[in-house]
Amino acid sequence: MTHTLARQAPTLGDRASRWGTIALGVGVIALAAAAYFGWAREDGFKRLQHAWLVACAFWLSISLGGLFFVIVQHLTRAGWSVVVRRVAELVAANTLVTAILFAPLVAMVLKGDASLYPWADPHHVAEHPLLAAKAPWLDAKFFALRVVVYFGTWFLIGRWLLKRSTEQDGASGVEPTLALERRAPPAMVAFALTLNFAAFDLLMSVVPTWYSTIFGVYVFAGSVMSFFAFSVVALRFLQKHGLLEREVNVEHYHDLGKFLFAFVFFWSYIAFSQFMLIWYADLPEETFWFKTRMEGPWAIVSVVLLFGHFLLPFAGLLSRHAKRRLGILTFWAVWLLVMQAVDMFWLVMPSVETSANPVTLAGIVSPIDVACLVGAGGIWLFALTKLAGGRALIPVNDPRLPQSLAFENF
Amino acid sequence: MTVDSTSALHLDEPYARPVLVEGDRDIAAVTRRVCGVVEAPKPPKAWYVAITITSAMTVMLFGCVAYLIATGVGVWGNNSPAFWGWDIVNFVFWVGIAHAGTLISAILFLLRQKWRTSINRAAEAMTLFAVCCAGLYPSIHVGRIWVAYWLFPVPNQMQMWPNFRSPLLWDVFAVSTYATVSLLFWYMGLVPDLATLRDRATTKLRKGLYGFFALGWCGSARHWQRYERAYLILAALATPLVLSVHSVVSFDFAVSQVPGWHTTIFPPYFVAGAIFSGFGMVVTTMVPARELFGLKELVTLRHLENMNKVILATGSMVGLAYATEFFIAWYGGNPYERFVFLNRALGPYWWAYWLMVFCNVVAPQFLWVKKIRTNLWAMFVISIFVNIGMWLERFVIVVTSLTRDYLPTSWGYFAPTWVDICTFAGTFGLFLTLFLLFCRYLPMVAIAEVKTVLPAAHPHGGHGHKEGAHHG
Repeated sequence: MTHTLARQAPTLGDRASRWGTIALGVGVIALAAAAYFGWAREDGFKRLQHAWLVACAFWLSISLGGLFFVIVQHLTRAGWSVVVRRVAELVAANTLVTAILFAPLVAMVLKGDASLYPWADPHHVAEHPLLAAKAPWLDAKFFALRVVVYFGTWFLIGRWLLKRSTEQDGASGVEPTLALERRAPPAMVAFALTLNFAAFDLLMSVVPTWYSTIFGVYVFAGSVMSFFAFSVVALRFLQKHGLLEREVNVEHYHDLGKFLFAFVFFWSYIAFSQFMLIWYADLPEETFWFKTRMEGPWAIVSVVLLFGHFLLPFAGLLSRHAKRRLGILTFWAVWLLVMQAVDMFWLVMPSVETSANPVTLAGIVSPIDVACLVGAGGIWLFALTKLAGGRALIPVNDPRLPQSLAFENF
Repeated sequence: MTVDSTSALHLDEPYARPVLVEGDRDIAAVTRRVCGVVEAPKPPKAWYVAITITSAMTVMLFGCVAYLIATGVGVWGNNSPAFWGWDIVNFVFWVGIAHAGTLISAILFLLRQKWRTSINRAAEAMTLFAVCCAGLYPSIHVGRIWVAYWLFPVPNQMQMWPNFRSPLLWDVFAVSTYATVSLLFWYMGLVPDLATLRDRATTKLRKGLYGFFALGWCGSARHWQRYERAYLILAALATPLVLSVHSVVSFDFAVSQVPGWHTTIFPPYFVAGAIFSGFGMVVTTMVPARELFGLKELVTLRHLENMNKVILATGSMVGLAYATEFFIAWYGGNPYERFVFLNRALGPYWWAYWLMVFCNVVAPQFLWVKKIRTNLWAMFVISIFVNIGMWLERFVIVVTSLTRDYLPTSWGYFAPTWVDICTFAGTFGLFLTLFLLFCRYLPMVAIAEVKTVLPAAHPHGGHGHKEGAHHG
């Protein structure tokens, strides 16, 4: 019962190093620019640190969404998705680079620099009874330890999933696939726990007095959505370069589009729940976070999210037609990736660009933001091409590959 | 009940999809088996025993409701400071139960989970019956039940309107929309099967009744084409409803400023809990029902195992939500919030809290073990734990927060009266009576849908080509 597909396995080949070099080059230049802009502001790199967190969170969220997707495919023994799974596995395994990118921020915390995470300054904590109450959790060393645990978990799961899947490419039996199915459930538990608390630690604690129990789900929803968007863009890019042209077809895009739509909707549901409950109860210890985001230029960003992250893509992706026209689908995928970046920006940046000092929309967005996003992205994509390297771009010997190749939506 | 060892359980090799129907897998056999339950001259003896007990409990329910209406809401244990008691606990409990049916029929349909076809009909029926039980509580809690229609915004010359800003009113809309769509979904799925029963009917009465409700279905290609389109649209419409109903129910609590109620994770956490409890109830009822009506080859152990996996997944989500709530209550630094959670675990209702944790978080973890999740007795016991645990969860949320609020002088202890207890027991009577009637008079399994997952419905089906079985 072994299916050996007599076919040339599609790989990146020498394109891997070519694309990798371009990504690295662009990334390094953007990083240098970001460092220069950050230094030029003379604010002790405060603005740069915030922008860097936004950039890291954005690229990390795509990897985490990919991790979720791959685990779910094994958990449910999905057949349709085999041809798009290797790209997802590569994205999911690409967390070591985000750990390295994130490391400087942890180093700043350990150094006692509180410009990004205000709780990193013991004097500030001592003056704030609310912060003092949670000091055992928001402790620099404990924080660093948790960050290591989060990234370590993601790295180990992501790499293991990729390793086993690649093993299946050359295996004569189906043991690697069965192993993936057996380990997927505990991997999901580890994923859920780490993502939930990482969202609190990495993003929510930027405003350490604010809290929202749904915050982890919010970050999760955006992450999975951005993964599906990235997946569509990446597959289209590969196909433009003559790869996976016969393997991935409109049926697979249609399903990716359905999930993209579903997670646009799910994100909106979670975002609405968080906002509505806090707005309705009107408790000052919670509302101040939204108040910042409803005043001055931040109100504009909030409205951009409402329309750009929910209403417009919801209408745009609703119809079957839109999900099966690759031009339209790719447009919305790119659009939603931009929205994910705006969302991360909206979560983090109001702490530094507050409405207290009157700022305009042009004033809250800085070249630093763009430079950081591109810089982190260049490094992240470079690492992705390194991982992709000589690997086949689809699981060539997956037992369910025939199902995926023959898959049709009814 | 016996543990049946079936071949499907060992069919985990990834080249082929496991069989969804066991035994005699031809199209006519499915019709015979499902219609056989309805057409048998007499139901099994156990059915008579069961319906005698459940209808007696239903009579008790009606008695309690009549006593309540005649006397007043004071016959319940609700009193200062716990103005909400078992009424809302039971309302939320039953609405939660109502979630499995539409999840199975809508969301699993969109996710192409073909195993749903054997269980969706019964689960959807349970949804409707559970909504009946749930809807009863707000209607009788209003006190003057003869003006219960004022729950809806009825135009009137006094310009009296319900408070549109109240989540209780949103509940009226959310639950009634959900009930309507679930009913439509269930009934539409029934139409082809009712036509089958009509065509097989031997008496005039049966032919007339089933024929009336079959709406002239003749199984033409045009009918099927429209049917499948409508099914997809209804599934897409019902999917957000699965999320919205319990989210709105959670708003009843979460929009308030009561510590322990006001927390943002409530909507998704309530939805996960609702699916958890709904699947628990489906397992509780389907394990005996498939034995009783000889449907073991249609509702296989594999179906039950899959449901147990959903129970494990949603139970773990609920566990994560508990942990998150507890953590943020501490992290938030609000002393009232911290107190509420300590009070839940160590206060006067500590027994309810720890029993809830055991039932909802610990008990489902046994389902990690394949031997347990494929053992009928084990899954039955765990599903009972799930039912108890999810009831306790609502009890803990409602009662612990209300009986110990900001002002210690107004603290109290809630105790139900006999009317509370008998009414709640009576709703189980109503639910089970309706379910037993459904089993006897309507096709318990979606005959037409199950046929589409038989090998014969696929190209190469039935010729021994394993690769042909790639459905799903």
